[in-house]
Amino acid sequence: MGTYIARRLLLIIPTLIGMTVVTFAVMAFAPGGMRSVIVNRESGLDPRARQAIEKFYTKKYGLDKPLTVQYLVWLNKVSPLGVKDAGVGWPSSRRFGFKSPDLGESIISHRPVLAMIEESLPVTLLLNVITIPIMIGVSLWTGLKAAQHRGGIGDVVGGSVFLGLWSIPQIWAGVLLVGYLANKNFIHWFPAAGLHDLRDDEMNFLPTLADGFHRGWLLDTGWHLVLPVVCLMYAGFAFSSKLTRAATLENMAADFVRTARAKGVGERQVLWRHVLRNSLLPLITYTATIVPGLISGAIIVESIFGIPGMGKLGVDAVFDKDPEMVLSTTLVASILGLISYLGADIAYAMADPRVSFESEAT
Amino acid sequence: MTAGAVPIPARTDTESALPASFWGRAIHDTLQDFGARLGLVWIILLVAVAVLVPMLANTEPLAVKIGGHWSFPAARHLTPTDVTLFILAAATLAVLPVRRVSVARRLLFLLVVLAVSIPLTILFVKPPITVDWQQYRDLQRAGKIQFKVMAPLPYSANDYQRDDPDQVLQPPSRVHWLGTEANGGDVLSRMMYATRIALSIGLVSTSIAVVIGVVVGGLMGYFVGRIDIFGMRLIEIFEAIPTLFLLITFVAFYGRSLIMIMVIIGVTGWTGEARFIRAEFLRLRKQDFVHAAVAAGLPLRSILFRHLLPNGITPILVMSSFGIASAILYESTLSFLGLGPVDVPSWGQMLNQSLGVGGTFVWWIAVYPGLAIFLTVFAYNLLGEALRDALDPKLSK
Repeated sequence: MGTYIARRLLLIIPTLIGMTVVTFAVMAFAPGGMRSVIVNRESGLDPRARQAIEKFYTKKYGLDKPLTVQYLVWLNKVSPLGVKDAGVGWPSSRRFGFKSPDLGESIISHRPVLAMIEESLPVTLLLNVITIPIMIGVSLWTGLKAAQHRGGIGDVVGGSVFLGLWSIPQIWAGVLLVGYLANKNFIHWFPAAGLHDLRDDEMNFLPTLADGFHRGWLLDTGWHLVLPVVCLMYAGFAFSSKLTRAATLENMAADFVRTARAKGVGERQVLWRHVLRNSLLPLITYTATIVPGLISGAIIVESIFGIPGMGKLGVDAVFDKDPEMVLSTTLVASILGLISYLGADIAYAMADPRVSFESEAT
Repeated sequence: MTAGAVPIPARTDTESALPASFWGRAIHDTLQDFGARLGLVWIILLVAVAVLVPMLANTEPLAVKIGGHWSFPAARHLTPTDVTLFILAAATLAVLPVRRVSVARRLLFLLVVLAVSIPLTILFVKPPITVDWQQYRDLQRAGKIQFKVMAPLPYSANDYQRDDPDQVLQPPSRVHWLGTEANGGDVLSRMMYATRIALSIGLVSTSIAVVIGVVVGGLMGYFVGRIDIFGMRLIEIFEAIPTLFLLITFVAFYGRSLIMIMVIIGVTGWTGEARFIRAEFLRLRKQDFVHAAVAAGLPLRSILFRHLLPNGITPILVMSSFGIASAILYESTLSFLGLGPVDVPSWGQMLNQSLGVGGTFVWWIAVYPGLAIFLTVFAYNLLGEALRDALDPKLSK
């Protein structure tokens, strides 16, 4: 297992570098590239100002150098490990080591992109951290029940309902949730936008009952999160429930379950200790593969519910034609996706001793 | 002997009705599934609407009699796209019943028809650039029209009646069956025009994804070794990058034309196909018929595409059904975010208009276009599930 994990960790490096290549290539091969995007935005009609701005950005990003050089300079800038004090254009110093990554500067707010991502990333992560356990928990229960009562009404109806849920577009679900459940003309149970109440700085952390009920900061945030989490969760929940059902059915027919029953283990014990543990394996892989999907989903959910997370940052940057912001949000989102894949592979190797470096086909 | 002779059981009707070929049986099995039949009906309906929409929803009369003269304004305003679709639909209907020619040949014929008709229609079909939507309404009011034949829905998608407050943001009624939007356009008519975007995005971007996936996956599975390791990293990269982020990055730098969006959805969506083909080729490459093909000195192209690929094509068909569903989802999401194709109505873009500033919620613009996206995605998913069960009983659980 040790070799497997070590090999997996080493394989991350080419993938990570490949990701930066893909992200950079998307920008570099665009008609006009970064130059046209920035210059068209920043400069007015005055030709001299235009020339000066073009010169400034050409020097800043080394736009007159070949693409490979541009890429290496950019990679050095964004990576936490590289040549220090690279300065403008080609690095002048030779001191190599850990440094703080520089993701560039937003051309709208003129703030460092890294700082803006540091503000918004925790919000997106919070959404995911709440969504995943609820999703897995509920789908484990429904999947187990469906497998236990295979062919029953609940199973058959559940199967079609899950396929239906899986096909509901998130944008539709989000719009309907906001429109019907957070609208004063229909049902106003939930707040329509944001993550906190406007007066959240006056609130206590926990709910208080003194002089009437005050919900407090924690409950207020939770209340704001209900609809976004539901919107983010239902599709993945439908799929993971189907997955649990299939895995449980397979394990229920397995030899080790028959052996357990034959030696007199109780039915509860069989289900929870023998079947469930083995059915968890596909869920581990699945959880990792949906993390990129959930981060994508955050774009939709954050746009609909007005949550200031990284997805909204990315979409706003596209509207503002803010190139470094767009690239950086994509890069950070990709690294998150990669980490989740890595985490799943390691968790899988730990949970299932059969996985080893030899049996892996890659 | 006669006593011991076993009577040959007469073939029952159901047995003789079963088609003999693999594909025939697969299609038969797929259509046994109730959900798949519903899905197919919905998709056929969408195709019919997409082709016939100028006849079904049009502000211009199909035929009109003014001052004793008959004229056909709707036909005059047909665009090259409309005419190309008519030709393609007619050609499809013509070759569909021809059983003797193989499916591949018939598809090739349709492609040729498409390739020929696009430049011809662009050359010869010249609709007027601006359309005065009020023209016939004014004539009607002035009582000049003696007789007219209208489309079932007398509103075009771009027929915005902004200036008439009675037509703006109307709830569903007898006049506007699914209501109108903020610019006074008819919601149903816009939805009908949007079927073209949804169907074409699904088909084109999935085709692009399948071609990339088959080539990359095939090379990986056949050559293994270094190419495989390299390809696996490529797949990993594209799977780990959250697709929507990649899509909006593409849109930010490459613009928002329809073709561009088709291409980028295709370019980001090939990993599943590549994985399937790779696994299939890994399994097949050790088999005797491949060794025989190699020993016979066949070129690589022939081994990969004529000998290996037909054996691995079944999972691709299933994948593309799901792929079309997800391409439609991505397009509607992009349009919803305001990053989709410009100037053409699409379901996602309409959905976006339902949430106005200040917390207004126009339910008929939210419910119906969203329902259209859902039903289409659901139809393709149902078809995909049924197809998978029919093609590979091992996979169905």
